[in-house]
Amino acid sequence: MEQDQRIIVGVYHLSKTFGKHFSLHDINLQVTNGEFVFLVGRSGAGKSTLLRMIYMDDVPSSGQVVVGPYVSTKMKRGTIPNLRRKIGIVFQDFRLLDDRTVFENVALALKVAGAGIGDVKHQVTDILMRVGLYHKRYDFPHELSGGEQQRVAIARAVANRPSVLLADEPTGNLDPVVTRSILELLFKINAGGTAVLMATHDLDLVKSFGQRIIYLDGGRVVKDKDMIYVGDLRDRIADSKISEKADRLEDRDITGDRGDRR
Amino acid sequence: MNLNQFRYVVGESTTMMARRKAANAFSIVIMGLCLLILVVFILLTLNVQSVIDRASEEMRAYVYLEDGVAASTSREIQMKLLGLEGVEEVVFVSKEEALASFRKDLGDSKDMLDALGSNPLPDAYRVKLKPEYIRSEYLEKLAGDAGKWEGVEEFRYGEKWLGRGEKLVRGFYVVDLCIGVIILLAVIFVIANTVRLTVLTRQKAIEVAKLVGATNAYIRIPFLVEGAFQGAVSSLLAIALLAVIHGFAQRFLPGVMFLRGDSIFGFVVFCALLGALASYGAMRRFLKV
Repeated sequence: MEQDQRIIVGVYHLSKTFGKHFSLHDINLQVTNGEFVFLVGRSGAGKSTLLRMIYMDDVPSSGQVVVGPYVSTKMKRGTIPNLRRKIGIVFQDFRLLDDRTVFENVALALKVAGAGIGDVKHQVTDILMRVGLYHKRYDFPHELSGGEQQRVAIARAVANRPSVLLADEPTGNLDPVVTRSILELLFKINAGGTAVLMATHDLDLVKSFGQRIIYLDGGRVVKDKDMIYVGDLRDRIADSKISEKADRLEDRDITGDRGDRR
Repeated sequence: MNLNQFRYVVGESTTMMARRKAANAFSIVIMGLCLLILVVFILLTLNVQSVIDRASEEMRAYVYLEDGVAASTSREIQMKLLGLEGVEEVVFVSKEEALASFRKDLGDSKDMLDALGSNPLPDAYRVKLKPEYIRSEYLEKLAGDAGKWEGVEEFRYGEKWLGRGEKLVRGFYVVDLCIGVIILLAVIFVIANTVRLTVLTRQKAIEVAKLVGATNAYIRIPFLVEGAFQGAVSSLLAIALLAVIHGFAQRFLPGVMFLRGDSIFGFVVFCALLGALASYGAMRRFLKV
């Protein structure tokens, strides 16, 4: 499969200090169009800080971030919302609005971008069908399982068809069975052409996919493993360690998740 | 902001309030009770002010004429008095009228006047002054000048009472202003914090909206609308409670004034602005990148 090598996210000599402490030190990395990259490191390694710099929730102390046409050193504050509409963001704690239904949570991303009411309805319906939650569109987040909530968060993140999806420990709160389903969903989104940069502390979870892994430790990139697999990652999930774990759990029938049992 | 976004923002404002009825009602009651203290204070001030105004309205100065002054001199004095800028009305009071009025005032003791034989009272002019000229300095100067006019015996204006009254009124305004400022600051503080709590409970919603690319205006407007709504409704609640208190007070003190319609409108607008401003202030730190 031929890959478009356009750089979607570029991080150049990025450092971030909090007082005298270096949180990130001279980070250099690029994510190309349609790529799936794991960002692996222990807690406190700087993964979340790096992602925050990419979606420009914080400014680098030095160096720069480039996301499509947006350059951190030249950005005006008023253009940040435009950047956020071009990237999707997913968190470990889902960050859904508790007083809004599933449909409304997903619609929010389209509404802030100014989509017409018809488009909002059509696109939310389409996305919810893709993530398998259309039948729960009128439910509130507290009525959903963790896995379902993360699916809603992912649906919201991709509602504006972003060129890159940033996922910060998206499976951190989920058991292996649900984790597998969330990874499947992320691979599916990636197969549709969206680049994915997923931060995780769980090396076991990701190394069996043979995908590019950037190792972060103490705020530095210590290893950036070359991409050795090009194609639809969904093919690889069955052989992955996470699948082994999930299968074991399913066999023992101890998974507590309501919505993602298959 | 395009038309669609504007429509969503309006929808968002109403949805936000509709879904948080209990929290909104709670905030409105707290703010309303707090504002009630302010409006009760304003009403008290207005009523005291009206009593002071009425007292000045009734205040008169007297120009006593010398005994047997010529009619032409008397008329000249009247014309001179009318020519003064602070004078609103000049009425001649003959010595007979003055005696009759004195008799009436004395009531049962009027017989003692009969012992006098002749009328000891002089002819006089009763001078009504414009309220803004009822000041010791002005009247003192006037008394000095007019006292020297030909045919004028004396110019009296109750200098002792006026001096005391002025001190009392000045003291009242100083104390009233101090209390007013303290109450106003306390009210602003309570309203700002109540609205701030509303914003804090929605902190997650603000963060989420920012993450999905909402502009600051898109996020802010529903909160400003909610702040203004809370301010306006709580002020109406305070006015309604004030009306109840006023109705009750009127049973004991008929003639107690109530706020004028335009004052009420101004107060509601002020509270709405205060609510919106408090909301704006509370959101500032969440909207910084």
